[in-house]
Amino acid sequence: MCRGGVTPPLRFAGQRHKCRATCSGLFDLAQKLYKAYVGFVETMNSKKSEVILDETENKDFLRELIETNITRRLIPKGLSWFGCMGGLSLLAFMIQLGTGVFLMFYFIPSAGEAIASIQRVSHSVPYGWLIHRIHAVGPHVMIGMVFSHMLRILFKGIYRHPRELHWVSGACLLILTLLMYYTGSLLSVRNGGGMYSVMHMTYVYALHIAGIPLAMALFMGMHFFMVRKTGIYEPL
Amino acid sequence: MKDYTKGKRPEMLEPFFPNELFRHIIVSCFLVIIELAAVGLFPLPFKVINKPDYIPWFLLPIYKLDKLIQNEVVFIPILVLCALLFISWPFLICGRKYNVSSFSSGECANRRCAGYTKDRRNLWQRPIPFMIVIITIVSVIALCLISP
Repeated sequence: MCRGGVTPPLRFAGQRHKCRATCSGLFDLAQKLYKAYVGFVETMNSKKSEVILDETENKDFLRELIETNITRRLIPKGLSWFGCMGGLSLLAFMIQLGTGVFLMFYFIPSAGEAIASIQRVSHSVPYGWLIHRIHAVGPHVMIGMVFSHMLRILFKGIYRHPRELHWVSGACLLILTLLMYYTGSLLSVRNGGGMYSVMHMTYVYALHIAGIPLAMALFMGMHFFMVRKTGIYEPL
Repeated sequence: MKDYTKGKRPEMLEPFFPNELFRHIIVSCFLVIIELAAVGLFPLPFKVINKPDYIPWFLLPIYKLDKLIQNEVVFIPILVLCALLFISWPFLICGRKYNVSSFSSGECANRRCAGYTKDRRNLWQRPIPFMIVIITIVSVIALCLISP
């Protein structure tokens, strides 16, 4: 108001001095605010550029990861088709996991209602029969794949040093798969004469849906880590 | 990650993508077809199956062994022992062979170098482990076939 603005008609020395001081104070404040604003904008711009840089780095990291592991990866020529049995076992496990999660929503782990809930899934839920059948047939396919994978490993001698832990984790996975089938078959058993209590059913159900799958996940992690570290069957 | 390119000429290698990935996709489709065919071939029975009477093929040897022994105190330790032997197979079988040629040819001056080396032969080239495996497989099949 003082600088370039309307000047008051009556000016006293004190008042004028006071006005100038106030105006300069306001001007300083405005300057500070402007500087702060400019600083803020610069900071935001730098942060934005950092974010953009991070995104670029992330994209580069992802690209490198994909290139190293998939697109530019080289493997020994002439690998056997039977070498895919391990991957097929994993796929069969994933199918069992998916169908098992679906069935988990409908299954009642009670000695009296277990069979009825399975029947309900099969006959009332849309496509429930298909999911149930796949979950029932899947173990046969999965165990067949695991057996053929292990026989191949055994006869080709791929379990030798330094791949002993591949065999150990794989053998543990086979035993856990058999246990998984066994607990699953106990869940759908007819409770003739009240031979299974509620506690027994809950215990078997907890083992089937959590205990054994967690142990399997651990052994699978170990198996895949070892396979990536020491390779498939090339001599070290 | 294991690097397969070390010490190999380019013609001995092939790209993982698409060669190996395509191979995996084909066999995965094959597995899905097998599962769906099995679902079609073994339809859902309307009656409830009495499961303890039904023993799947992969549990048949264990079931038959249980029937044969008829004593759980003996059966369970045998089962655990078999599982432990199965798991620790690579450690039991890690044979060493005596390398005579290197000692006699004078490549190694000391006896330690010339002596035992790790046996890297295939299973069928090693008579004792091969016989153990064959006898085990035959016993398992025979166990499935007998009716105690």
